[in-house]
Amino acid sequence: MYLTREEERMFDGYYGEAVSLAIRVIVKVGEALGAERLIRVKHVHVSGASYSTVGEAGRRFIVDLAGKGAKFRVYTTVNPVGMDTEDPNAIPYAIITREYIRGQNDIINAFKAMGADLILTCTPYYTYIPDKLGLSVGDHVAWGESSAVVYGNSVMGVRTNREGGPLALMAGITGRTYYYGMHIDSFRIPTIRYVARRKPLDEAEAGILGELIATIHDDEKPPLIEAVFTSDPALRELSAALGAAGSIAMAYIPGVTPEKPPQGRLESIELDEELKRVVEERAPNETPDIVFVGCPHASMSDLEMLKLEMKKYSGRPKSKILVSTSRHVYLEALSKGLVGELESMGVSFIRDSCLIVSPFARRGVKPVVATNSFKAYFYLRKRGVPVYIAGIPRLVRASYGG
Amino acid sequence: MAFKTYRGRVLVEGTAEGEAVVVDTLSFYGDVDPETGVLVDGRSISGRILLVRRGRGSTVGSYIIYSLKANGKAPLAILMEKSEPIIVAGAVLAGIPLVDSLPKEVFEEVKDGYRVRVSNGLVEVIG
Repeated sequence: MYLTREEERMFDGYYGEAVSLAIRVIVKVGEALGAERLIRVKHVHVSGASYSTVGEAGRRFIVDLAGKGAKFRVYTTVNPVGMDTEDPNAIPYAIITREYIRGQNDIINAFKAMGADLILTCTPYYTYIPDKLGLSVGDHVAWGESSAVVYGNSVMGVRTNREGGPLALMAGITGRTYYYGMHIDSFRIPTIRYVARRKPLDEAEAGILGELIATIHDDEKPPLIEAVFTSDPALRELSAALGAAGSIAMAYIPGVTPEKPPQGRLESIELDEELKRVVEERAPNETPDIVFVGCPHASMSDLEMLKLEMKKYSGRPKSKILVSTSRHVYLEALSKGLVGELESMGVSFIRDSCLIVSPFARRGVKPVVATNSFKAYFYLRKRGVPVYIAGIPRLVRASYGG
Repeated sequence: MAFKTYRGRVLVEGTAEGEAVVVDTLSFYGDVDPETGVLVDGRSISGRILLVRRGRGSTVGSYIIYSLKANGKAPLAILMEKSEPIIVAGAVLAGIPLVDSLPKEVFEEVKDGYRVRVSNGLVEVIG
């Protein structure tokens, strides 16, 4: 692989053990994939920050790296962790022991020592990050959160591969990643078109469409998706589903993706019928114990929508309504009085974390959950939790026993 | 004298000699206990030459490989037909010799318990 002089110095240990280790890992992985060189990245978003997902092995790795003096050379933000850092009891049905808190805090402190911005969210694009870093179309980044990878490539037009596990960390330490896949124009041109145009899709339908596509799409190139999405949360849920149910890093969505449309005729697959069937199959038909919104982390518009729908009912909902969001969005909603209004109607907030990356229902009682997120549906079902999926209006109706 | 030799591509340099344990596809996360080096099927990869045709699964796998090394339960070397980023990253971090691009036959011809010597890209079956 070709390395610049600066990169060679990193490789040879001129900047210390941690940088040398990090660039060696990236070079090796790049060589294994056939990359010819490295590329500078403008922003790194590290996944694998929850003690529940990385476990003791991950904790030890991250702590050791910080112990070797590793520092991020590029602006690095961090995914959600296993608990609300200010209120470890915010998540019901989750056993958070003192050992757990200690393990989780070790990871958080190690990231902090390396210089990370602890935004602790899977939706860095809903925070000040894009403005602060001036992220724009064509920028190369290295993101580890699969839902953000798809949203970034497809909606924002930034370029990132699915940087799993420690690789995003290494990108943060070197400011580089291997030049391969989504960083290269030719990898971003779709070859197959998926169509679901019968009606505009809400966020729950968009997620299920993402699942259908992810399970049949077997091509290194992104799928082209011809559908109308009603809102930004619908694009977020589509992205999350594509990243969770498959290994897709990007979708080309006409009218949304800020890149040139592909030339020529594409093979076309109609999904309207199947989408309608699956959506109906999974809609709530009982009052759930928990209504869960915010996987990936909720935006202001989700909170507004929730408020609007809840105002249509009087009294308290029968279900516990949980919203997970970033501390950033939470504080914005707090300052606008939205947190207070929602709380007064029976909504509880989880910040820095969510049901998926926390110990929620990993053991013991499995409550019935209804959510607008396919990704939450996908992972909670693996945990044996009964889950329904629907858009916010239907979720709120179910929570009032309707 | 070697019974049979194969040549692959070196991804992590090193030499090792030991007993083979052969697996078709492996996700280090979920399939291997990082504390003991024992696979879900009960075989141990600790102190052995691990032949794994393909990798799959979770990105946390790199952390498991690293942890095996830290716990003294890592394989001596990993030999593959096709590598993938998760295992490459783990092997580099743990300093475990890794060879890929080996011919597919290796994974049929070499059986558990065969004695294998790995010297960079050269893989020799010696007993």
